[in-house]
Amino acid sequence: MSVVPFSIRDRGSYLWFLIPGALLLLAVILVPFGMNIGISFTEWSGAGEPEWIGLDNYTRLMGDGTFWASFRHNVGLVVAMAVLPTLAGLVIAAALFDFVGKHFGSRHASILRACIYLPQVLPIAVAGIVWSWILAPQDGALNEVLRAVGLDSLAQNWLGDPDLALWSVMGVMLWIQVGYPVVIFMAGMQRVDPSLHEAAELDGASWWGRFYHVTVPQIRPEIFVVLLTCTIAALKVFAPIYVLTRGGPGGSTNVPSYYSFQNFFEKTQVGYGAAIATVLTVLILVLTTVFLRVQNRGDHR
Amino acid sequence: MSKRLLVAAVAALMAVAGCGGGSDDASDGKTLKLWHYEGPDSAMGVAWAEAIKQFEASHPGVKVEFEEKGFEQIQKTAPMVLNSNDAPDLLEYNKGNATAGLLSKQGLLTDMSEEVTKRGWDKKLGPGIDTTAKYDERGVMGSGKWYGIPNYAEYVMVYYNKTMFDQQGLAEPKTLDELTAAMAKFVAAGITPLALGGAEYPAHQLFYQLALTKADRDWVDRFQRYTGDVNFHDNTWVYGAETFAKWLREGYISKDSAGVKAEEMGVSFMQGKAPIMVSGSWWYGRVASQVKDFEWASVPWPGMTAGSSGNLWVVPKGSKNKQLAYDFIEITMSPAIQDKLRDAGGIAVAPSATPPTDPKTKQLNDDFKTISDADRLAFYPDWPAPGFYDAQVSSVQKLITGQAGPHEVLTEMADYYKENTASVGK
Repeated sequence: MSVVPFSIRDRGSYLWFLIPGALLLLAVILVPFGMNIGISFTEWSGAGEPEWIGLDNYTRLMGDGTFWASFRHNVGLVVAMAVLPTLAGLVIAAALFDFVGKHFGSRHASILRACIYLPQVLPIAVAGIVWSWILAPQDGALNEVLRAVGLDSLAQNWLGDPDLALWSVMGVMLWIQVGYPVVIFMAGMQRVDPSLHEAAELDGASWWGRFYHVTVPQIRPEIFVVLLTCTIAALKVFAPIYVLTRGGPGGSTNVPSYYSFQNFFEKTQVGYGAAIATVLTVLILVLTTVFLRVQNRGDHR
Repeated sequence: MSKRLLVAAVAALMAVAGCGGGSDDASDGKTLKLWHYEGPDSAMGVAWAEAIKQFEASHPGVKVEFEEKGFEQIQKTAPMVLNSNDAPDLLEYNKGNATAGLLSKQGLLTDMSEEVTKRGWDKKLGPGIDTTAKYDERGVMGSGKWYGIPNYAEYVMVYYNKTMFDQQGLAEPKTLDELTAAMAKFVAAGITPLALGGAEYPAHQLFYQLALTKADRDWVDRFQRYTGDVNFHDNTWVYGAETFAKWLREGYISKDSAGVKAEEMGVSFMQGKAPIMVSGSWWYGRVASQVKDFEWASVPWPGMTAGSSGNLWVVPKGSKNKQLAYDFIEITMSPAIQDKLRDAGGIAVAPSATPPTDPKTKQLNDDFKTISDADRLAFYPDWPAPGFYDAQVSSVQKLITGQAGPHEVLTEMADYYKENTASVGK
């Protein structure tokens, strides 16, 4: 595709249309972010005058075990919210597109796709509360079902056992996330030229061969977008933790955004909370840049 | 055209950023802007709705502009709101050093001392109740100036299922020994006796409650008001932690309770699944209205008891109609409104006009009076340090799940307390 060259005058007239968006970006994102960075250099309870303390909050962060533990939990959530949904999404999307769609009609595939997407539509507070009922230790639906089918030994304290809680949250997040890649990948698969598959089939490629060598490379841009957006969502995850476990038991599901919130509003250590939020934002920015660069390099290859 | 576009963009930006410079319609002496976060069916919600009616009747031409807020909403945004032009004239706010104390220290609340004396509110509120209303210059409760007025109270008690107790041949558990013996009997019968929510406040309140069994006023004041050294490994704390651990070992508390929320705890008691619940008077009205299948009763905890005044009416420094705000507080302190609050299932703190008719309501208020008169109110365990709530939930969860022993938990709490009270008064 060729790029239409603009004259300087054309470009100038376009700039006017960018102003509202740019001003909003400035007011809603850049100024608050700048203020957040400023506050991170202070000790402040949220009221009164902040006291300038330089890099003390960042020095403290480096030695804060809770902060680093919260990042380790975040790695688990990146797996549950980005890596596994992407892999599962590819398999489910291919199954719906190649198998259900072809053998049972696109209508059935669409219904199944909508069902899988449903958790994405549910407000997280609702989904979280329902899952906390399902996973409740005594009368929770999951344990009741396990007991009813004679698997009493598998009944667990899903959200109250420090060894299990993060895994349980990861399971819930996988359930919530998987619909998103499925929808994106199915849209991507519809974009793939069918003649590529036909040619591969004529050359004797198996279903797996076609999937691996044709489908996956063709929907690479979608895979990148899904991985990027899901990774960012996992890094800044807050609401599910707030609703399901509040970082517990014993801090075993704490994540940086919740830890930041705790410092902002519970401990009234606004400066320290701002430092955590700044580090998290910078990390997300770096990761996004790396992702986009890798993707661009892939596109140019 | 371009200029017009620019103006439109700036206007849109100002609107989004909330810099519209909205009109200040509350400063005309004709409007009382009031915020609180009590549900309309709660005892306080019922009483205050009536107070608003009475206020409007006694102040012709004055309108009450009431906004119902969420607890968290006010809690998290109060410093910002009170610093702005949008502050209400009167609002309900949480009591304690890290909340009302912090705001008073920052100069965001009005010193009401003069008004309190003039209107005689100090005479109406009993000892222990007024502690949460007064804050010194460090923002520490118990002395100094009046920054708020509470007009209800709350305390922790033992709720028990009388029907299940009768089935086991057990009498009302009036002492800790009797309570322990009753729990042992339930365990022997295959029933986990105590409903407990370890994911939220109930577990660390029980932990504190057990420590309070050995506590006195001096111990509470040292912990809550920093009047002396606090040793988390003294006999009182150690007794609390070790007894909690023992109750877990003996099966009085389920090891699964670390993940149980307060709501699930309450439901478990109200459904008759657990015969005992140690929690606050905020459950009382709900238990009374929802429990139909069995007889239940409550008994005060022996000794010092977690409890205090309820939340406070505070007047923001920037309130434009302070006299109207004081007039409203006066009405909420009147015998008629206090009776309304009590009869709706709340605990009144000022003199009443008529005796209660419902025996359960009477008992709730009488028990509170006994505790208050004996100066046994010990506030709540998470009050002394900002963020102590989350820290205590986490520590006590570790005790329940076996991640930490009683002494490790006490050390963890001590470290948090020391670190986070170091800045008090700064």
